[in-house]
Amino acid sequence: MIEQRAAGGPILRLERVSKVFQMGEVAVEAVRDVSLEIYEGEMLVMVGPSGSGKTTILNILGGLDTVTSGRVWYRDQELTTFSPSELTRYRRETVGFVFQFYNLVPNLSARENVMVATELSPRPMDVDESLQLVGLQERLDHFPSQLSGGEQQRVAVARALAKNPEILLCDEPTGALDYVTGKRVLRLLVDLKGQLGKTIVLITHNGAIAPVADRVVRLRSGQVVEVRTNPEPGAPEEIVW
Amino acid sequence: MSVLDRKLARELVAARWLILAIILIIGVGVTCYVGMGSAYLNLTEAKARYYRRCRMADFWVELKKVPVAELDRLADLPGVAEIRPRIQFYSTVDVEGVEEPLNGLILSLPDRRRPIVNGVVIRRGSYFTGRRQNEVILNDAFARRHRLGPGQWVRLVLNNRRQELFIVGTAISSEFVYLLGPGSIVPDPEHFGVFYLKQSFAQEVFDFEGAANQVVGRLSPHARRRPREVLRRIEDRLAPYGVLHTAPLSDQPSNKYLSQEIAGLRSFGMIMPMIFLAVAALVLNVLLTRLAEQQRIVVGTLKALGYADSQVFGHFLKFGLAVGLAGGVLGCAGGYGTAEGMTYVYRFFFEFPRLENRFHSALQLSGLAISLLFAVLGSLRGAWSVLKLRPAEAMRPRPPKRGGRVFLERARWFWNRLSADWRMVLRDVVRSRVRTAAGVFAAMMGASVLVCGFMMMEATAYLVDFQFQWLLRSDLDVAFRHKRGEAALWEMRRMPGVDWAEPTLHVPCTFRHGPYEKKGAITGLAPGARLTVPRDRDANPIRVPPAGLAMSRTLAEILHLRRGDLLTIQPIEGLRRTRQVQVVQIADSYLGTIVYADIRWLSRLVGEELALTGVQTVIDPRPEKRRLLYRELKELPSLEAVTTRDDMVQSLKETLVATMWIFTGVFVAFAGIVFFGSVLNASLISLAERRREVATLRVLGYGPWRIGSLLLRESLIVTMIGTVLGMPVGYLYAELAAAAYESEMFRFPVVSSAGTWIWTLVLAVLFALAAYLVVQRNVHRMDWLEALQAKE
Repeated sequence: MIEQRAAGGPILRLERVSKVFQMGEVAVEAVRDVSLEIYEGEMLVMVGPSGSGKTTILNILGGLDTVTSGRVWYRDQELTTFSPSELTRYRRETVGFVFQFYNLVPNLSARENVMVATELSPRPMDVDESLQLVGLQERLDHFPSQLSGGEQQRVAVARALAKNPEILLCDEPTGALDYVTGKRVLRLLVDLKGQLGKTIVLITHNGAIAPVADRVVRLRSGQVVEVRTNPEPGAPEEIVW
Repeated sequence: MSVLDRKLARELVAARWLILAIILIIGVGVTCYVGMGSAYLNLTEAKARYYRRCRMADFWVELKKVPVAELDRLADLPGVAEIRPRIQFYSTVDVEGVEEPLNGLILSLPDRRRPIVNGVVIRRGSYFTGRRQNEVILNDAFARRHRLGPGQWVRLVLNNRRQELFIVGTAISSEFVYLLGPGSIVPDPEHFGVFYLKQSFAQEVFDFEGAANQVVGRLSPHARRRPREVLRRIEDRLAPYGVLHTAPLSDQPSNKYLSQEIAGLRSFGMIMPMIFLAVAALVLNVLLTRLAEQQRIVVGTLKALGYADSQVFGHFLKFGLAVGLAGGVLGCAGGYGTAEGMTYVYRFFFEFPRLENRFHSALQLSGLAISLLFAVLGSLRGAWSVLKLRPAEAMRPRPPKRGGRVFLERARWFWNRLSADWRMVLRDVVRSRVRTAAGVFAAMMGASVLVCGFMMMEATAYLVDFQFQWLLRSDLDVAFRHKRGEAALWEMRRMPGVDWAEPTLHVPCTFRHGPYEKKGAITGLAPGARLTVPRDRDANPIRVPPAGLAMSRTLAEILHLRRGDLLTIQPIEGLRRTRQVQVVQIADSYLGTIVYADIRWLSRLVGEELALTGVQTVIDPRPEKRRLLYRELKELPSLEAVTTRDDMVQSLKETLVATMWIFTGVFVAFAGIVFFGSVLNASLISLAERRREVATLRVLGYGPWRIGSLLLRESLIVTMIGTVLGMPVGYLYAELAAAAYESEMFRFPVVSSAGTWIWTLVLAVLFALAAYLVVQRNVHRMDWLEALQAKE
């Protein structure tokens, strides 16, 4: 089992991480020498334009991708030394993903999409409860094609939550949503941090979202250009973009 | 049921038409496997049971006449376990109410019932009683056909005397599972029967007191492996009595036909299923690869959620397994039904005490296992692509499909003349390599099955034509019991209704060439004979040489002889003088190992001026004339057999052609499923992959029919290439099938007319068109506006 630690310390740590993609004959350095600590229970927002390496960092943190050089730590375990099956277990038990385009399985209902996650987890939440948490108790048996974008994203959040992970990794969760719905999803994430004490890493190209974070990391061309702490994070309702 | 299984179930339902096509192809494969396998087991088991029950002989020896006391000593020979001397004669039979004379084989059986080699199984009535000497047991098929039964009488000419025989029972025996009359290749119970007489009665009527002219016997298990060695010793021992013919079990006609059918079932029962299952696996491969491609993001998401590679792999494999299972179950049921049908047909040809279709559970299970195995093989590539997909990679957009020029475009002259539609069609055919390869392979296999089916049908028709219209052209043949002079020919010519008659002389001989030896016979023909016209390989008539032999290819091969070679012949009867003669011509025949010679040359060889043992005739077809002739022939005691060839050819054609029609129908249906299924799959997948492209074309103003025509052109190109490539493969199958059934007694011709090739092409196009209609329906129903908006 992955060991739990007292709140407040770093839960994830990147140590001089680089990632190079080979695109045909050109090598693209998506992440360059990034070092970063993510603390337990915080909401960290990474902001940067497309191509700044934020998705790559998120994928590395989630055990979806490997590094070219450098080391990644989850608590005191080095992720970069994990075998594929250890990585699978890490993804299964420790992290939950929310994607920009929701990535729901089209031919499964909302409830079933959440069950896809709970059937895997050793200590899952109740499926209906997790959907209730995201305010979808009325639409349990609807299929993705019958749900609006905001609703689909809320199913995706419920799916990520239902495994009861320590860390939620959100890839542009509001990217495909309209203004109002986007804010509603942000509110949901902020509440989850407060109520359930989850660590949340959110990446976005939309700098306006930054005020809701505990800390904001700015990326450009695969490098960290600024790390800023918000002493008093704002409410999602107050932000404008 | 886990959620992933639910997802799977819904995907299966959504892809039901694609899947159904694959299920049918697998089903056909397993049907062949289970059907032929069951028929194989049914026949094998029935044969083993029957042979055991009748104590089937391991060898047969035919002689002129030999004292039984001499034969008894054969049992001392090493390897010989048990022998039974018996008396065997051919005779004409006169059945009340039947105009034409029929033929019978007379065999002796012990007066009292006891376990014997080649015993009989009584079907109706009883074995011989002590009440009369002239009792007879009939073979059951002949009795049934002529509505004869215990208590009735039948007239036979035995040793030149007409005898009234009292029927006590009907019976069957393991040595006549496949009962052939003289000169036929299918059983003809209407014209030929077996008549069992009491041993004592047979000795009396044939003047065979204390003698026999046939020995049947069983060998020790050890000797059974090398029966020819024992037979050679027996032959040496009996040489002074004139050994006419020896045959181990493997050469006995009934056993040979039965065993060949069983062996054929075994090999075809392996080849045919493999063809269909390989096609199914390829088509499934295309479908699953497409599915995996389509579900990249789902796969990535599942992996991101923490599903292990093996779980996702297994999930995709299950798709294939479900298809395999459905096809397997369908095939098992279909196979049982097919075996039922085949067993039913076999009952017409083979006579067993009991031949029934059993449920062979091990075979059924193996059929299921094979279908699952092929389904897994077909799914592996798709599932594998999922296995190795890294989740981060899965989430990134797919690298764009290779575009650019295809090799055809290098032929500028050709390419520049093509319309945009044709360019799209050709590019897609060339670029979708795996799909095109699968389609070509499926069409190849479908076409090969069609060609093979048609060629077997043509071969059957050709065989009958060759043998009975070109080679043997008489209407009615008579065979005399003993050698006769020229007067017998004149006698036949004077018979009412005989328009033309030619003599034949049959001289049993031993042929020797170096270390090779074979017993057989030479048939003497009149110079320029019209009723037996030996033919070469291309069915052109060849002249019987005034001296020397025209030998059938089969026998020449056995004796390693070529045209111009010399060989030694020794007549088995008469003076038995050894002669050196030349093979002047090679003749082709599909039945038996025939050797022709000039009748006068052959007569001199056996020390006569002109001898004959048979007469072939052309007769007046009018019924009243025939009736007169038949009446006269029935009165002739010197006849051993009367063969009315036109009747025989008629029934032969009916039986063989009917059977071949059924088999060809099945072949066509099976091939149709392959063509239809593969074309349907390829087109529907192509349509699904190109939704965006199709939508764009619709926006540009293409109508649904025009879009359908793009898909149709693709299918036809692939189908035509595959069909043309499959034709030689089919020819090869037909050659293999002919080789598998080839024996000394029987050869299967390999012939193909334009009809075979044209029909194969026409059917291939028709099946592709049938699949296209379904595809066109999908094009019409496609929501192209949605396709335009949907993100890839």
